[in-house]
Amino acid sequence: MSNRSLLHAAFLLALLAILGGREALADRFELIQKRGTLIVGVKSDYPPFGMLDANGKLIGFEPDLAADLARRLGVQLQLVAVSSTNRLQKLEEGAIDVVIATLGDTSQRRQIATLVEPNYYASGVAVVASPNAHLSSWADLRGRKVCATQGAYFNRPMAQRFLLDLQVFNGTRDTKMALRDGRCVAWLYDDTGIVGLLSDPEWTNYETPLPSMMISPWAVAIAASEHESKLERAISDAIADWHRNGWLIETEKRWGIKPSRFLADTHQLWIQTHPDGSPVCARLANGEWAAECRNRSLLTSMDVGGLQHIGLLIKEWTGLNLTIFYDAYDSNLFLTGLWRTLQLIVGCIVGSLVLGCLGALVAEGIPWLRGLVRLSAALGRMTPPLLLIYLIFFGVGHIVVTRYGWTFDGSVIAVFCLSLYTGCAIVDALLEASALLKDQETGLALGWRGLPQALRLAYAPVIAALVNVVKATGMASAIAVPELISASTAIVAEQGNASVMMNVLMITYFLLVMSVVRFFNYLERRLFQHDIR
Amino acid sequence: MTFAEIAHILVVWTPFLADGFLWNILISLVAMAVGTALGAVLARLRLSGRKSLAHMGLAATELTRNIPTFVFLFYLAFLVPVEFEVLGQIYAFPAWLKASLALSVAVVGFVSDNLLVAGQHWRNGNRPAALLFIPSWTMYLVIIVMASSTASVIGVGEIVSRCNVVIAAVSGDEMMVWVYVYAIGYFFGFCFPVNWAMGRVKKRLLARVGGAPTRECGECG
Repeated sequence: MSNRSLLHAAFLLALLAILGGREALADRFELIQKRGTLIVGVKSDYPPFGMLDANGKLIGFEPDLAADLARRLGVQLQLVAVSSTNRLQKLEEGAIDVVIATLGDTSQRRQIATLVEPNYYASGVAVVASPNAHLSSWADLRGRKVCATQGAYFNRPMAQRFLLDLQVFNGTRDTKMALRDGRCVAWLYDDTGIVGLLSDPEWTNYETPLPSMMISPWAVAIAASEHESKLERAISDAIADWHRNGWLIETEKRWGIKPSRFLADTHQLWIQTHPDGSPVCARLANGEWAAECRNRSLLTSMDVGGLQHIGLLIKEWTGLNLTIFYDAYDSNLFLTGLWRTLQLIVGCIVGSLVLGCLGALVAEGIPWLRGLVRLSAALGRMTPPLLLIYLIFFGVGHIVVTRYGWTFDGSVIAVFCLSLYTGCAIVDALLEASALLKDQETGLALGWRGLPQALRLAYAPVIAALVNVVKATGMASAIAVPELISASTAIVAEQGNASVMMNVLMITYFLLVMSVVRFFNYLERRLFQHDIR
Repeated sequence: MTFAEIAHILVVWTPFLADGFLWNILISLVAMAVGTALGAVLARLRLSGRKSLAHMGLAATELTRNIPTFVFLFYLAFLVPVEFEVLGQIYAFPAWLKASLALSVAVVGFVSDNLLVAGQHWRNGNRPAALLFIPSWTMYLVIIVMASSTASVIGVGEIVSRCNVVIAAVSGDEMMVWVYVYAIGYFFGFCFPVNWAMGRVKKRLLARVGGAPTRECGECG
């Protein structure tokens, strides 16, 4: 290749690079201008920050911010309802331009989206408790059962800081019921959400005795690729303006929200000036806001070392976020879950066998109860175990707690319900086996002596039922028993490593089930060897 | 709360709950269809007479036996996207279908094992014994219908999650118990007649076989 053609190639490459660069410059800002519409994702279920009016239109504090942004950009506004779980995903897909949806500003989220500074609002975490809980400081909650809702960013740090025994439920409804039934002393909840909750007449006796903690600023988010773009700059300027002229405080008042300390403080900060009259909060040469006007908690670099460092390196290289190996909290959560699952497995196997054998013995030993046992076993096999768990945990549990003041542990209820279901299958299998035995050997009744023989004959169906109950132990997660599934979903909610955690969960369960099957096969060999001898 | 009040509330919500139960049936039927198709393929492999194929069929069956459907439900819910694009067309992947797929794993193992036994009987000319597969399959549908209630944990609007909606909508603590009991009634209402009828069919077939106890699938289910 001659020098000349080399030069040509270099020139072409440079041209491509410039064209490519121009392509990247044709960014979201221009797209919005061309389209003439700004598409903003807001909440629809978080009054008064984002909610639906009687006509199904999205309104609230955040839609107002969106409207002002669109006005400043000189385009129309289109609002789209998003949820906590899909807001950043929709942003990444490009389905929406901007997210203004009660999004807390955290360093993890900064890795998956561009969070625009300054922050426009802030919320903290508080507890709802009944007045007779007598809480005067956060330290009073140490080691006590506190209900929480899955997916909240503050669950983990609050549990760590105050050593709370967190009971994490799937949704707000379940958490509410658990608190009401006295399954926990307090409910860890977002202080902006508590206001709406306490206005419900059913909750008039409840209070928020402790000051808000972990004040987390909320940020407007745009796609990760929009970092340092024209769009970010425009939004950032708009928010700075809102703080300076007090418009956010006005908007807050308009929606009847209790004045937030954050907005008042931030307003004061943004109108401060240096002695020479220049504003304190101004852009530096690099385009960033002055350090004192930024989210301080995110400026401090994370100190990491040892295992955590290696874990982060693996994450960097492979994208596998194995927090359960390097993060003490996560690994503890997972191991506690594993331990609880093992307990559930043993409890369910023993419980099912005991209930099954007892049922069969009663049916055979007390003739007039035979029909009743058979009928109950048939009915028990036709009751979905999950429904039974709900019925006993929430339904019966609530009546018992209001009448007698007793609460039962979720694990105990789960083991009982699953054992009942499986025990019914075992009763059927044993009775069938004993009928066969009677055919062979007249006069043999299923008593203490006949039971081992019947068990041996019914070995296969009994083991099948026991293996099934092992597989079903995960159902305890539906009532916040901190077993493997609960632990895994809690870690996913915190770390966003769904694929890693779900595979780890699947493999762990697979190995557990396999070990149980192996154990029973071993037992079978031993039993039949004994037979031959 | 009087009995009349309770009954009135239950009647008002009956269409909503009944509609939810239809979802349970749909989820279960789809799970049975998918599981039976795949299980039949595995049984065919195991009956093929070729050692390598039979081994493959057995290994796949054992795999499905060790997968807990409840965990698999979460697995699919978390890892399968809500919608995906094929040739520019966007297809939704609804949660109920994920539930069906999760449940179908159990069906695969069941069908593979039972169809294997049935196939062996059929070859030996023992038709009634082979036909025992039909009542067993139908009784397994009942088990799957019960298991379909777990779809509620991934947000499928079947009867159990609708119970929770009803409980949230009507106040009164006793009501909670009645709503759940009423929902259990739906499962009885479906399962009892099916199990009874299939029990009769099984008995008649067994009588034709000659009363000899036939090997039934023990490890699946």
